[in-house]
This record gives sequence, structure tokens and C-alpha cells, in this order.
Amino acid sequence: MDQSVAIQETLADGEYCIIAVQGMLCEGDSRQSRLLGLVRYRLEHGGQEHALFLYTHRRMAITGDDVSLDRIVPVSRDFTLEEVSPDGELYILGSDVTVQLDTAELSLMFQLPFGSHTRMFLQEVARACPGFDPVTPDPEFRWLSRYRCTQLQSQLPTPHGWNSAPGTWPGCARIGGGRYPSRNGLWGLEEARSGAGSVLFGGGAVDQTGLRLAEVARGGGPLWGRSGRRGRRDEEVEEAGREMSAAAGSRERDSAGNSHFDDLRPNGKGLLVDQSSWGQDKPEDLLPRQNKSKSEITDMVRSSTITVSDKAHILSMQKFGLRDTLVKSELVQKEEDYTYIQNFRFFVGTYNVNGQSPKECLRPWLRHSVEAPDVYCVGFQELDLSKEAFFFQDTPKEEEWFKAVSDCLHPGAKYAKIKLIRLVGIMLLLYVKEEHAAYISEVEAESVGTGIMGRMNKGGVAIRFRFHNTSICVVNSHLAAHTEECERRNQDYKDICSRMQFCQVDPGLPPLTISKHDVILWLGDLNYRIEELDVEKVKKLIEEKAFQTLYAYDQLKTQVAAKAVFEGFTEGELTFQPTYKYDTGSDDWDTSEKCRAPAWCDRILWKGKNITQLSYQSHMALKTSDHKPVSSVFDIGVKVRNEELYRKTLEEIVRSLDKMENANIPSVSLSKREFCFQNVKYMQLQVESFTIHNGQVPCRFEFINKPDEQSYCKQWLNANPSRGFLLPDSTIEIELELFVNKSTATKLNSNEDKIEDILVLHLDRGKDYFLSVSGNYLPSCFGSPIHTLCYMKEPILDLPLETVRELTLRPLWTEDDGSQLENPMEIPKELWMMVDYLYRNAVQQEDLFQQPGLRSEFEHVRDCLDTGMIDTLSASNHSVAEALLLFLESLPEPVICYSAYHNCLECSGNYTASKQVISTLPTFHKNVFNYLMAFLQELLKNSAKNHLDENILASIFGSLLLRNPAGHQKLEMVEKKKAQEFIHQFLCNSP
Amino acid sequence: MAKQYDVLFRLLLIGDSGVGKTCLLCRFTDNEFHSSHISTIGVDFKMKTIEVDGIKVRIQIWDTAGQERYQTITKQYYRRAQGIFLVYDISSERSYQHIMKWVSDVDEYAPEGVQKILIGNKADEEQKRQVGREQGQQLAKEYGMDFYETSACTNLNIKESFMRLTELVLQAHRKELDGLRTRASNELALAELEEDEGKPEGPANSSKTCWC
Repeated sequence: MDQSVAIQETLADGEYCIIAVQGMLCEGDSRQSRLLGLVRYRLEHGGQEHALFLYTHRRMAITGDDVSLDRIVPVSRDFTLEEVSPDGELYILGSDVTVQLDTAELSLMFQLPFGSHTRMFLQEVARACPGFDPVTPDPEFRWLSRYRCTQLQSQLPTPHGWNSAPGTWPGCARIGGGRYPSRNGLWGLEEARSGAGSVLFGGGAVDQTGLRLAEVARGGGPLWGRSGRRGRRDEEVEEAGREMSAAAGSRERDSAGNSHFDDLRPNGKGLLVDQSSWGQDKPEDLLPRQNKSKSEITDMVRSSTITVSDKAHILSMQKFGLRDTLVKSELVQKEEDYTYIQNFRFFVGTYNVNGQSPKECLRPWLRHSVEAPDVYCVGFQELDLSKEAFFFQDTPKEEEWFKAVSDCLHPGAKYAKIKLIRLVGIMLLLYVKEEHAAYISEVEAESVGTGIMGRMNKGGVAIRFRFHNTSICVVNSHLAAHTEECERRNQDYKDICSRMQFCQVDPGLPPLTISKHDVILWLGDLNYRIEELDVEKVKKLIEEKAFQTLYAYDQLKTQVAAKAVFEGFTEGELTFQPTYKYDTGSDDWDTSEKCRAPAWCDRILWKGKNITQLSYQSHMALKTSDHKPVSSVFDIGVKVRNEELYRKTLEEIVRSLDKMENANIPSVSLSKREFCFQNVKYMQLQVESFTIHNGQVPCRFEFINKPDEQSYCKQWLNANPSRGFLLPDSTIEIELELFVNKSTATKLNSNEDKIEDILVLHLDRGKDYFLSVSGNYLPSCFGSPIHTLCYMKEPILDLPLETVRELTLRPLWTEDDGSQLENPMEIPKELWMMVDYLYRNAVQQEDLFQQPGLRSEFEHVRDCLDTGMIDTLSASNHSVAEALLLFLESLPEPVICYSAYHNCLECSGNYTASKQVISTLPTFHKNVFNYLMAFLQELLKNSAKNHLDENILASIFGSLLLRNPAGHQKLEMVEKKKAQEFIHQFLCNSP
Repeated sequence: MAKQYDVLFRLLLIGDSGVGKTCLLCRFTDNEFHSSHISTIGVDFKMKTIEVDGIKVRIQIWDTAGQERYQTITKQYYRRAQGIFLVYDISSERSYQHIMKWVSDVDEYAPEGVQKILIGNKADEEQKRQVGREQGQQLAKEYGMDFYETSACTNLNIKESFMRLTELVLQAHRKELDGLRTRASNELALAELEEDEGKPEGPANSSKTCWC
């Protein structure tokens, strides 16, 4: 489905939505669905500008009505939209693409669905970016001006409830009933409210604050839990008082009520607010888009039309970099386990050709050995001395000499050229036998020029490669000339060593230097001369073939001995006469006026293990240059992989890494996983605790929501704390608190709900544990409907559960059916018992209904009522009075039925009309109402003693008998007043 | 040297309680076997890296609680799986009968195109056998699944069945993976193996795509 169609409908003439994609806007922990449309506008004088339009939307946008413009981001010069990898997580096939949108003003993060469509979208956006061509004018975005005011308007809140998860939080998630809005409101409702209103950009800031609040609470973790718990113990008694003073609370709620709760423990339920947006590794994401557009995403994947390389790019984005590095370093460490040394024959040659073209066959130099070498490393210097070669870096000589070499390689084998590199006149060629080419890898070539102006034809080139498992570096250098420049040559060598750097395959690794190789072969015109002997003496020694004597005067020898250059390198014995300087075309020493002394300029050195030099010689037969070429043949022991052993080693490494990884999956042990709460009673807290003991990996734990549920557990249950962080080997105690209140009691009576639940304890990046909760609830008259109680002639606990269930489910109006044979009571006996008790004992009680009762006494009253043992009832008048108020409050249908609520408020002040409304109530409700009014009037007769008056009673009973059908919303003052007034009339007038 | 790629898959083990799902997992990942049965109450997972067809595949294998009372919750994990093992116990006719129910749950909750494989575990307990090999084959055929009789105890067909399901998942995602391979050979081209006379081939590719 192409959602750009819907966007197009909202656009003006000249604007065109090129492509649209649906994604999630990520802000902190919040995820909101947005439709992103790339819109193009053609300018009148040619050219075009682009902007990214962000829309909120309902369902999958089909028409323009489904989308609502949220904001516009002009694609300006500072606009970037880039893929980012979400905190180093593993790449998961088909996972979302996270992109970061940045401009000078803002920075947004989106998750786009995996697939070709997203890829296309990103390509289009990239194409739309204006670039930095100074010729094209900066985009002005005048066409966007018409949206500026619209955007402001759209900041007005509009109902966008479909993706405001926090807004779906009902106020019912609380223990202890809805009597204390302040208690939960502090932690839950207010956040929920701010979250809901924040869908549009105007509210973003509010939203953030709301979430941050929760974040702080969450971050508290165990610490918070512990203090919470401690607080709780102290509060236990106090809480009893609090529940008991419920009715009083409605009187004092504005003053004392609040201070009473200043030390609120953070009720776990209140924290639920951001739960749906917390953690992404849950089994069930409640993110709206994921549910909605799953099929859409799959379609995109299937209809994929992007090019292969694009796709490969998508797949390669997330690599296991660290893991690869670990595997590699382990493999290097264990190299000896799976490699063996095998000798390969290397030919190394160096030839300073003095700017000449090849005139003679190079066979005498390259093909003098019987056996075909496995590798040829052939170096030249002074390939081309022309200015053109120097300035244009191009010379026909390269091809000429390359061909000359290629033609004269050993005929016993076929060779593949691996690499050629040239820096002005310094060229290096690398060939291997064809069958070895497959084992050559990581080939890199670099060059370094040395010296200053005028001498820039000096320097070195190098080729590095891996042959089987051995790394090899071949360097060809032409160092500074002239006898007196010995220091300069040393410096050139050092410069080449320090400046020659090869890129690595893994861009994350530092570049390689020459010294970081197993084998180094260094050849070239090193230009070291013979010192302290005059020319004639040198020539004489040469004639006598006293090379040993002569060698003592060789600069390279003395410099190496002084550790000034080529440290760690070896050179074979010089058994050939100096290779410089001859008259071109002859074997005669230089006869020019300079009359240079002969010198061993051209040399071959090596460094590394398992290297045997087989020959080291010059080749007098070649007369093209004023130098003679030099060659050396080596047997080099190369580390060759035994594939079977390699595989085995690799598998071992991978296995041990897997093992390590599995050991690093967070894991905990729980002291208990089954919890049974027996004989749960109305408003009586039961606590079961267990401990989580962490293993060796620090982890975050959290109870997570089950699918399609608003909360991680049933309403009557609470885990404290419900989330936290655990250090290795640490322990935390979790308390499961079960508390049935008026909002959960009725369904437990009717068996629509049971004391049964499964909690999912989730470890971040780890396992999930299931905890089962079971138990039984003892039905109570509290939470039972009036008419149900009227049909119960026996105490509720004496009745079979099935009967309680049937009676509780009986509809409110069944009593009209005359055929009922059960002969119900006129009012619930439990109500009569309480009223009768008060009538007998408390009509003169001072401050009746105004002082709180005791929790323990309430439990006693409840048990007496539910078992019918009223004779044993002994409690303070205040406790019984409070029980009466709690009873009225717990009625699922208030005494004045919800349906009559608004009528009552309307005719409050008109007594006749009010009586009329009362007469329309179901019989049992009418009876209860009249009964209570009669009782209250009785109390008023004793007002001298009990200090009660109509106003006090009206304010207490007004909000209990008349309840707003909309639920627990804080009543408006006017409404409250009217309700009081309504009751007031009945207190003042006799029936 | 060609770049190294990893692909992550999620495989899921489902089946009645006690058929040996956890044992299959332990045998495959740690090569361990414990004969005592401790019910998995929750959802557990382990990682394993294998190489299939030159591609390095990391599989995350999820082991789920088999007990019926947890099924409404465990079903929610199906959605994230690319491959599912349906496991029964050859010594339990009942667990075999229940495969039907498990399949229908998979159809309902798992993503479209999820790969399934049928496993008859505890093949070593021949004397207690209640479900014939043919019955397993027959059922697998009916649902168009591959079938293995395995034994975590004797390590029979464990690697084979895990490898097979991984292959099936790879095949199902072939399109994406072809991209991977092409990319890998592009990288090879950069190795600058210019031919002189004969073009080197064959072993070059295989040696470059191994892990090092």
C-alpha cells in the first residue's frame, strides 16, 4: 500500500509526494508512529526544493483524512538523514532500520521497517539533498510558508488516542479502591494524562517530563524497593487507619487527608505508566505499528526490487566486530596448532637501469637457476630519468621493462602478476606461480618519496601480502647517492620505514608498517660506497678478487655494524665484484671524467625466520646500464595451513566463544515460583515474598505485561518492587501483595475472576521466568450488589460458592419478576445488622461517622457479617460506623443507581421531584435508601449529644449514595454540592 | 580478504512438557546431557554459531515451557522465530497427538514463512516406544515438514536436525543472502588478482570466505 497517495491528497498544487514510509518516531522511551513523506516542489523558474513532511495518522493511511500534519523538515543544506546502528546490538535479519534525522535546529530518531521500500525512501531523500554546489542558490522554502500557520493550529490537542499508549491507562490500577485519587494520581494518573496529550509536537516536552519522572523512580531499583518496603511495614498499621478513615477522608480530603499521605510509598502500579514503551526485547511488543503493519512489512520484503548491493549493504550494517576480532586474535595465538612450515623458492632481483630501455634479454639475470622459483620479486631503479617521468608520473618504460621481465621468467612454470608499483624510476614487480595465486591475499602496495627538491627521484616502493599464513613485505629502495651522503642514506632508510604504511582489511585496525611482517626482503640501489680507499686500490683488490678485504671498507657493512641502519637485517656474503660503475655496454669501469670508484650499490637484504639464501650474485652479461643487475635466490619457510586442523581449531574457538557468550546471558535463581494465597478476604492484605538471586552477570529485571493486558498482573496483585537492577551474585526480595478491594471484589464473588495469575519476570537480554499465583477468595457482603444480598437469607459464607456466583450475576431488575419464589428480604440483612447495632449503641455517640475506626475491628465486623455471627459483634461504634460507610462504598451499583444519578442532580432542590426519582429506583434500592434516611433522621434527633447535623450527614452520605457513573473522576464542586443538597432534603423532610 | 558476515536467526523449541526440548538444546549447544527432568518454567535461550554454505550463522535457540497452563504466554514468543522445532516424545503417544495442536498454534501465531521441522525425541528408548517411526514420517509429510528421530541422550541426529532447520531458514531468506554472497565476491575482486596467462580460480573463493 503506497501511503504517499494519502499524503498527496493533503498537498497543494505543485507539491508532489515522491515517496512515503511509515516509521516510529523514537523520543526517549516513547515510540510514536509517524508517516514520513518526501515532498518535492517545483520552482517557477526551474529547479526544485524538497521537504520531509511528518504526519501522525490513524490506521494505515489510505486517504488524506487519515493523516494529520505534525511537522515539516525542509531538506536544506544542513539536513542529513543517516542510518545509525542502535547501541551495538546484533544484526537481526529483518530488523528495523534506525535512522537519525539532523538539521541545524533539530535531531530526531526514527525506526523504519526493514525492506526495499525503506531503502528506496532513503535513496530518494539522499537524492533530494541539495549538496554543496556553490552555484545553485540556497533553497528558500517559500512554498512552505503556507504551512506555518496551519502547523500552529494543529498544535491544539486533537484526539489522537490510537497511539498514545499512556492514555490507555485506566485509573483503576490501584489498590485500596478509588477513594484516594491523590495517592495514585501522584504516580500514575497525572503522568498518564500528560502522556495522552502529548501526541502533537506541542506537547513533546510535557511527555518527556512525564517519562523522566517514571525513569527516576525506575532507576531507583532495589534501593527504592527496599526503602519502600521498610516504609510499608511502618505503614501497615497506619494503612489500616487510612482505609478505616476512608469515610472521614471524604470530609478531610482537602486538608488533613493529604498530609496524611505525605509519606506515600510508591505504589508499584503507578509506575506502570511507561511500561509499554520500556525495553524492546520483550516477547510481545505492544507497539501499535508492529501489530498493525506486520503484513505490510512482509509485503515490502517480498516485493523487493532493490539492487543486490543495496541489500548486501542492509545486511552488512551490523557485524559482530568484536567477535570477529576475538576469533582472529585466537587464531593467531593458536597458529602453530594448524600450520606447518613449507619451503618456497623466491627469486629477488634488483637492477638500476640508468634510464635505458631494455635492449637485451634479461634471461641471464632472471633465469639462471635450474628450478623455477615460486615467487619473483624484481626491482628497478632509474627506470626513466626524463623530466616527463618525474613531473607526469607516467613513462613508457614501465610497460617496456614489465614486458621484458614477463618474457624472461623461468619457462618451467606459469606466473601470475600479483602487483606492480612504481614511484618515478623505482619500480617493483611481484609474480607468483599460477598455482600459488589462490594463497596470496591482503596485497597492498605503497610508496614513499624521500629527500628534498632535486633529489625527489629517491625513495622506496613496497608490496606487502600474505602468502598462505605468512606475511611478507618486499621493499625496493633507491637511497641517496654520493660517497659523502652516507648519513642521508641512513635517513632515507629510516624515513621509508616510518612512512611506509599499509591499510588493513579491517579499517578499525591501525595501518601496518614494514617491520610488522614475518618476512622482509629489501632490495635496491642502496648507494652505499667503498670508503677510505683510492680508486686504484679498489680496482686492484677487485682484480685480486679480494672481496673480503674490500668489504671491510663497505659503508653498508660499517653502518650496519654500528646499528645505524638495517637493524636486524642479514646480507649474504659478497662473492661478486662491485656492480657500479661501468661504462655502458661494457664490463669496463667508469672512464668518464668523474671516474667514480667501484661500489656495491645494488644489494639484497632480508629479515625473518626460516630464510635460507641459496645464491647472491651479479650478472655481468647484462651491459645496458652503468650498473650490473644483482639477484638472490632464497628458500623461505612459509606457514601453510592444514585445512583440517585449521577447521578444528576454528571450531574450538567458536565453540568456546559461544560458551562464553551463553555464560554471559543473565540468569537468576528464584527462591519460589508458585504462590498460593489461601482464604483471601476482602480488604485484607496478604503478602508472599521470594528472593531473586542473581548469577554472575549484572542484569535488569522487570515484570512485563502479558499480551493484551494493561498490566503485568491482575488488579488485586502487586509486585514490590516490580523492576530493578541486580549486581552479580546479589539478592533482592520481592513481595507479592494481594489486596482485594471494592473494584475487584464483585468479580471474585461472581467467579468471573479468580485468584489465579501468571507473572512474567523478564531479564533484560536474558531469560523470562514464569511465576504462578493461585488461591481462593472468600466471598463477602462487601462488594456484593444490594439485590443479591437481599436474596441471600443465609450468611454469604454459609452458601455454596455456586449460589453466590449465581446470585451475584443476577441482573439488577430481576426482582420485578413476580414469579420469584425465593421471597427475598426487603433490605440486606448485613445492612440491617450494622444499622441496628448503631441504633442500639451509637445514636448518642459523639462524632459518629467522623472518627476513623480500627482496621482490626473492621475485619471483625466483616467476618461477623459474612458468617452471620452478629451476636458476637463487639466493636467500637466508630468501627461499625466506618464499616457501614465502606459497605455503601463497595456496592457495585450505588444505592441511587447510576442511571438515576443525573436525574437526582437535576431535581436537587425540588423535594417532590426528588421523591419521584427515588420512587423509580429498583425496590431493594428504594428500601435501602428509605431505611438509611430514617436512620439518619433518628440520629439527628440526638444531635445534642452526637453533634451531628444535616449538613455533616449530607456531605458524608451524599458522595456515597450518589456516585457519578463516569467512575472515579474527581467530582466537581458543583456536582458534589448538588448531591449533598439532594440528601439534605430527605434529612430535613419527613418521608 | 572478504568481509565476514553474520546473520542471526531465532529458532524455537516447542512441544509438550517433558519431551526433551531443554535436553535437545543442551546437547546441541553444550554437548551435555542430563537425564533428570527439570521443568522449564519460562523461556530460556542459548546462542550457537555455525557455518552453513560459507555463511556464518548465529542462531539464538529459544526453549519454552511446555506445560499447558503457560501456553497462552509462550505463544507470544512464536512471532519472533524464523524456525520452529515441533518436538514429541516417541515414548508418549499423547505428546505425538498434541503435535496437531502445536501446529495450529504455530499457524496462528508464528510469522508467515516460518520454517518448521518435526522431531521425535528419545529415540534411544526403543523398548518404551509408542509412536512408530512411520507415524512421525506420515505426520511430517502431512504438514510438509522434514522429520528426524533424535536422541539427546545418545546424540543421535541432534546436529543434523539443527543444521537442517538452519538451512531451511537460510533458504527461505535466500534473496537477502544472495546479496551477501555477491558482496563477498565483490570484495574478492578487490584482492587484485590480475591474471597473467591463466586465471586463478576455484580455491581462491573458498579460501577467502573462511573465517579468519
